[in-house]
Amino acid sequence: MTKFIKKEDLYKLLNSFLKDFEIIGPKQIANKGIFYEPLESIEDLYLGELFAIEPAKKFFLESSECLFHSGFLDGKATVQDAPLPDKRRIIIGLRPCEAKGLILLDKVFDSEYKDRSYINNREKSVIVGLACAKPDKSCFCTSMDGSPTGSRGMDVLLFAVEDGFIVEIYSDKGKEAFSSLGKEPDEHQNKTLSAYKQKRSELIGKNFKVPGDLSPIFESDYWDKVSFPCLSCGVCTYLCPTCHCFELVDEGRKMYRCNDGCAFSNFTLEASGWNPRPTKKERYRQRVFHKFDYFKKIFGENLCVGCGRCIRHCPVKMDISEIVSNAPSGAGK
Amino acid sequence: MIEELRNKARELLKTKQVEAVIGYQRASDGLSAIPCVIRSEEEAGRLIWDAACVYNLCGYLKDFRAKKLGIVAKACDVRAMIVLISENQLNRDDVFIIGMECCGVVDEKRARVSGRDGSDISSADKCKSCASCVPLAYDCLIKEKREKAKVSEDADKDKYEPVRKLEAKSLSEKSKSWKDEFKRCIRCYACRQVCPMCYCPRCVADQFMPVWFSKAGGIEGNFSWNVARAMHLAGRCIDCGECERACPVGIPLRDINRKIEKDIKELFGYEAGMKTDAKPFLACFDKNDPEDFIK
Repeated sequence: MTKFIKKEDLYKLLNSFLKDFEIIGPKQIANKGIFYEPLESIEDLYLGELFAIEPAKKFFLESSECLFHSGFLDGKATVQDAPLPDKRRIIIGLRPCEAKGLILLDKVFDSEYKDRSYINNREKSVIVGLACAKPDKSCFCTSMDGSPTGSRGMDVLLFAVEDGFIVEIYSDKGKEAFSSLGKEPDEHQNKTLSAYKQKRSELIGKNFKVPGDLSPIFESDYWDKVSFPCLSCGVCTYLCPTCHCFELVDEGRKMYRCNDGCAFSNFTLEASGWNPRPTKKERYRQRVFHKFDYFKKIFGENLCVGCGRCIRHCPVKMDISEIVSNAPSGAGK
Repeated sequence: MIEELRNKARELLKTKQVEAVIGYQRASDGLSAIPCVIRSEEEAGRLIWDAACVYNLCGYLKDFRAKKLGIVAKACDVRAMIVLISENQLNRDDVFIIGMECCGVVDEKRARVSGRDGSDISSADKCKSCASCVPLAYDCLIKEKREKAKVSEDADKDKYEPVRKLEAKSLSEKSKSWKDEFKRCIRCYACRQVCPMCYCPRCVADQFMPVWFSKAGGIEGNFSWNVARAMHLAGRCIDCGECERACPVGIPLRDINRKIEKDIKELFGYEAGMKTDAKPFLACFDKNDPEDFIK
């Protein structure tokens, strides 16, 4: 279903949802950037060209959440699951890469293993995406089987056009929220939309093919060379729409699941004191292999959506797309 | 300057004065720089030098302990090395400092968050209060031959003016403003990893039993992390600005570090990394140290 809605009418509609839904969308913070936040006022909603620094992943796989707590009830030791939030949410402004990231996370947290809180967050959310008007030089979604106008993972997708948005509605959740609004797009608007879809992919500068099998070059000293600048911080991991490694931390009587990253030097530090990934070489290689080899071999797709955040925000400008596309021959097709 | 730098690197490697040279090469976007290590004369052509050479490369020295290295260094980078040497983290003899006369580096992050593409980039804030383009110590100096950009015309101004403005705010204003900043902290530790003075093999923030800086709910842990790091840098931070630059969520970390730096300068007359033979600030005392706090 496709509709056209004027910008003011979209904002009015979102306002009307505020009583029943939490509305989470990008907000511009002066001199800092764009951040997803629960919006108290729809006027704060930013639907412009700049990308949010952190992806919307944290509203599904939280950066830090209590899983369960232990205690005593009537003299007996108990373990209780933490309560799950009940409120429905509209998460608006996600880019196609972020929504695709959720589909990839579903393969881990909602398939053979069912993660209680992740699934609850997924069920309670309506995903209203925003197609990208202006990819930047770090973007490479098209090399990851994606597109700036991709609809995978979206309930609804907005395309910014003159004075409003063309709204494509894909799911029942989306219909429930949005079908009452707007009108059929007119011919001019339809033409604009086709041109939009066609042109957007051309704006993506990076284009490369990931080797099918990296295992032949696991021992290569290529990884020594390319990992040199890495600081072993967590920026690429925490800003990635698909990274999902975590640690469990016992605090008082509560068990917390907190995000973690393979780049950190003690990520694989074992209780014995031995660390199988003692240097940047092993750790950076792990990042590349997890995303572009292991995950692909198990789940059929690269664990990367080409959003470019890791490149855009890396403090030393490492570029995983260059590193993967320059991988030495010896990597299998 | 670039050719002079490359030739120097070639010479150092050819004569085996150093095992490797740490410097900058062009990043994949064609504009920025990325740290690199050159181990042979043939690779020296990769070295670049321009206003994109922002990073403080001292952190890479610890990858090469007990080896002699060349390092491309700006004045601020050399101050970091002076502190590391005074703390026995670096032997002066193990490093051949290729001093670069620097006219200031760019602040590409500011351009990026406001949506510009990088072609119109202004000079980093930290450069505006930089007192000297020439490093305090070096084994060779590569001078800037072009006409210099006026980067340090503000060097005479009170560099702590932004700190004083913050100090003047009320407690509740300060509390609200820092809460707004720290709630964005994602504990990526980029600030720590990029800092030349953060070299602890096992950081207190990474310890489990107990957890010192909780990530469980609320922002107390974020407060304690950032404040603890600033305190651990007291008398050691040289305001290279890397922490603030590396922070992906734009927390004004220099404001915290400069407050402590200002207090130490005003109370004790001490500035980190400005004297090659100075002892670490917190590791020694002077009979003339103020003692007004002892009543």
